[in-house]
Amino acid sequence: MTMRSGMFALALVAIAGFGTAPARADLAKLYESAKKDAELTWYVAHYTTQQAEETGRAFEKKYPGIKVNVVRTTAQVAYQRLNQDISAGVAKCDVFSSTDIGHYLELKKKGLLMQYTPENAAKVAEPFQKFDPDGLYYPTAAGLIVIGYRTDKLKPEELPKNWTDLLEPKWRNKIATGHPGFSGYVGTWAVAMEKRYGWQFFEKLEKNRPQIGRSINDTVTMLNAGERIVSFGPTATTLESADRGNPVGVIYPTDGALLMISPSSVMKNSSKPAAAKLFLEFLMDVEHAEVAVKNRQESLRPEVKPLPGAKTFSEIKVIRPTDDEVSNGVPKLIEKWRDLFGG
Amino acid sequence: MADSGTLAAGPGRPSWATRLRHFDPTILVWLLLAAVLVFLVVNPLLRLVLTSFAEKDTGVFTLANYAAAYGRPRYVQALWNSVLLGAAVSVLCLVLAVPLAWGVSRTDMPGKGLVRLLVLGTFITPPYLGAIGWILLAGPNAGWINRIWRGLTGAEDPLFDIYSFPGLTLIIALYSFPYLFIFVSAALDLVSSEMEDAASILGAGKSHTTFRITLPLVLPAILGGLIITFLEAIALFGSPALIALPARFNVVTTQLWQFFSHPARVEVAAAFAMPLLLVTIALFWVQQRIIRRRGFVALTGKGGERRPMQLGRWRWLLFAYALLVLTLAVILPYLILGQAAFAKAWGRGFSFDNLTLGNFHFLLFQHATARQSVVNSFLYAGATACIAISLALAIAYIVQRRLVPFGGVLSFLCMAPFVIPGIVLAIGFYAAYAPPPLSLYGTAWILILAFTTRFLPIAFANASASIRSINPEMEDAVRILGGSRLTAVTRVVVPLLKSGLVGAWLLVFIPATRELSAAIFLYGPDTRTMAVMLFDLSEEGNFERLAALGWLLLAATIAIVAVGYRIVGRDFMLRRGGSD
Repeated sequence: MTMRSGMFALALVAIAGFGTAPARADLAKLYESAKKDAELTWYVAHYTTQQAEETGRAFEKKYPGIKVNVVRTTAQVAYQRLNQDISAGVAKCDVFSSTDIGHYLELKKKGLLMQYTPENAAKVAEPFQKFDPDGLYYPTAAGLIVIGYRTDKLKPEELPKNWTDLLEPKWRNKIATGHPGFSGYVGTWAVAMEKRYGWQFFEKLEKNRPQIGRSINDTVTMLNAGERIVSFGPTATTLESADRGNPVGVIYPTDGALLMISPSSVMKNSSKPAAAKLFLEFLMDVEHAEVAVKNRQESLRPEVKPLPGAKTFSEIKVIRPTDDEVSNGVPKLIEKWRDLFGG
Repeated sequence: MADSGTLAAGPGRPSWATRLRHFDPTILVWLLLAAVLVFLVVNPLLRLVLTSFAEKDTGVFTLANYAAAYGRPRYVQALWNSVLLGAAVSVLCLVLAVPLAWGVSRTDMPGKGLVRLLVLGTFITPPYLGAIGWILLAGPNAGWINRIWRGLTGAEDPLFDIYSFPGLTLIIALYSFPYLFIFVSAALDLVSSEMEDAASILGAGKSHTTFRITLPLVLPAILGGLIITFLEAIALFGSPALIALPARFNVVTTQLWQFFSHPARVEVAAAFAMPLLLVTIALFWVQQRIIRRRGFVALTGKGGERRPMQLGRWRWLLFAYALLVLTLAVILPYLILGQAAFAKAWGRGFSFDNLTLGNFHFLLFQHATARQSVVNSFLYAGATACIAISLALAIAYIVQRRLVPFGGVLSFLCMAPFVIPGIVLAIGFYAAYAPPPLSLYGTAWILILAFTTRFLPIAFANASASIRSINPEMEDAVRILGGSRLTAVTRVVVPLLKSGLVGAWLLVFIPATRELSAAIFLYGPDTRTMAVMLFDLSEEGNFERLAALGWLLLAATIAIVAVGYRIVGRDFMLRRGGSD
């Protein structure tokens, strides 16, 4: 991404009537105040530790003089931690990045999020526009849930094409999945499956005795190990594993890959508000999209294309439950899941 | 840590010394220790108990949390599963540990040095790392053991499915039995051969002597060790998270995790943790009852001769058994983790073009957090061990010598933390010390203090066993000759216990380096430990790096233990045996 194309994109935005004042001046001013904050703390569940660290370093490279303290956990742990902070009266977290949309609806209800409209909010690709009508949280990461498989164990004609193919008895003891009680990704995916195919989807799945891990990334471990040969898995970690030479690949289901959009927000009680706002800007910026793509996540910016082996949104069918469906549906689904699968 | 030494030493003027002789400072020491225990144990626990009876947000008294915690069969089942698991693990540990301890301490079994070394290797292996190794060994489809089994027999079903109740029992027992081994062999080392000789002279055979004389003599150690393994088994979070979930059953810790997940119900979790406390109290009461019936004074200064029992051909069988146990615990898991740590892509299996040092390079040079986490782990564990041992020794001495009333309360408080699952303890600590006035959240201290509380039982059990083995007559001699209690402690007790104390220090230090369940809730941006890093990596689909970090942890631990060996001669964990 060159400076010129950046300018060009800005010009386009200005013509389209999104931006108000010239953006660069604003960001420059924000950077000046952010330097006084000198650091910020980022609770992040979007990524693996590696990618979270890499994102922090990329920000520090772009904005020298501001340090990012990366605290990476799974979504539910991050939220638990944030709630502990709140009840202890500690303003530790400046930017909160979860994968569970329910967290944001709840934080919004309690008035704990800071109102801020990033300059870059208007420049992300179409599926990420106008995410929260009140502008309290913004999409900062996206991933797809698809079918992962062992490339060395399955012939092309044997491959499943859509989600329901995996309910056939021939996949018994061959499927890996995560757990909605741990993973925001799996919870969202399960809500989408139930919405589309009803609860019987899971009753049939249970008969196939899937291997249940915690994080959606556990499915990749199970494929790598050869413990299972197909998975309800994430594109990012699966492809990243393939990049390292593991015999795994992804299938985009014809009935729709699940698009996971993970938001971030600046906390209202942030003690480093300028640095936090600048970081939120960065998360919607081109450099962040480049880090994401390198780690096989989806790019939020249309200028940044995925690496070979992955498809763009425009090429595939995606499905996505609404925020309300997810935040109301996941807790109920977790209970039903535990009753059905045990554990 | 202000201990009795600094408290009573004073500037050393003669008048002060004279006064000291007439004033026994024990009561001051007792007050100080009680205050420390209140801070470390009572306050966090009190917060928990209060929380369990409090309504969320309002704090009004309610029993609703208990109704919620036991209102569903699934939750009660989890509790029951944990108790069963603890019992099964204890029994299995008995089978694994006692023959090995007896073989090393009392017989002429060959290869004692090797057995000790491998037990140590087991002890320093984090249970969740062992669990991951075992997933690779005994996963129903991909596990080596099952692949070989299928290859040999053509069977459809796996030989052993790790994702099952027996699987979890085996994994936890394999990495808990060293506690029992250490307890029992340390006690056996202190038993002189006189009583066994007496039995032989009276015509008892070897097995008769062992079962009627030797083992009953070390009953307190066996019981203490069993209780520790039981509590370890029900308080673990990492292994059940890796094994029980796919095996589709719940235990207390995974259930607690559920109560903490969104929307967090800390008060329900607190209510759910209460029965475990009652179980502990009951266990200790039983232990006290059994021990109280007889005195156990088996160590009399430096006297007493210990000769290994001659087992003849049986000694090879015993050695083979020890090797089998340790192959399962150490050799096989390490081999397979090693294969993963040096692999570019673990899924491709073993081949020379798949070998790499890249995983280590990444962790040490490209991953700031991983490098820092290694340093943090050892720093916190060292501080924890120093604090816990000083505290435990002071309390154990006071309680054993009955110097103060209510000694039993102190010892109960020292042992109580073991039953609190780390997750719950962490929440208690968080509630008590994260907010102002102390504001320890995100600091190293909150981790160190929580670890100290968590491992106080190990320190205390060790200190108690050591002090119990010293005949009070020796101190009485000092007192009769005009020495103070302090002189008796510093000139008689501490020298006698020196090597035992270094061993005890390591016994706290090692589990503290790998503590997971409390750390995962208490770490801050700058205070991540290796265990937290490992757990993070375990759900990131990046097994190669996880294994590499596991190996780094092991290598660093081995280096520190080796230094310990150097310092105390070879007295760590055990007296020097005859054959090594």
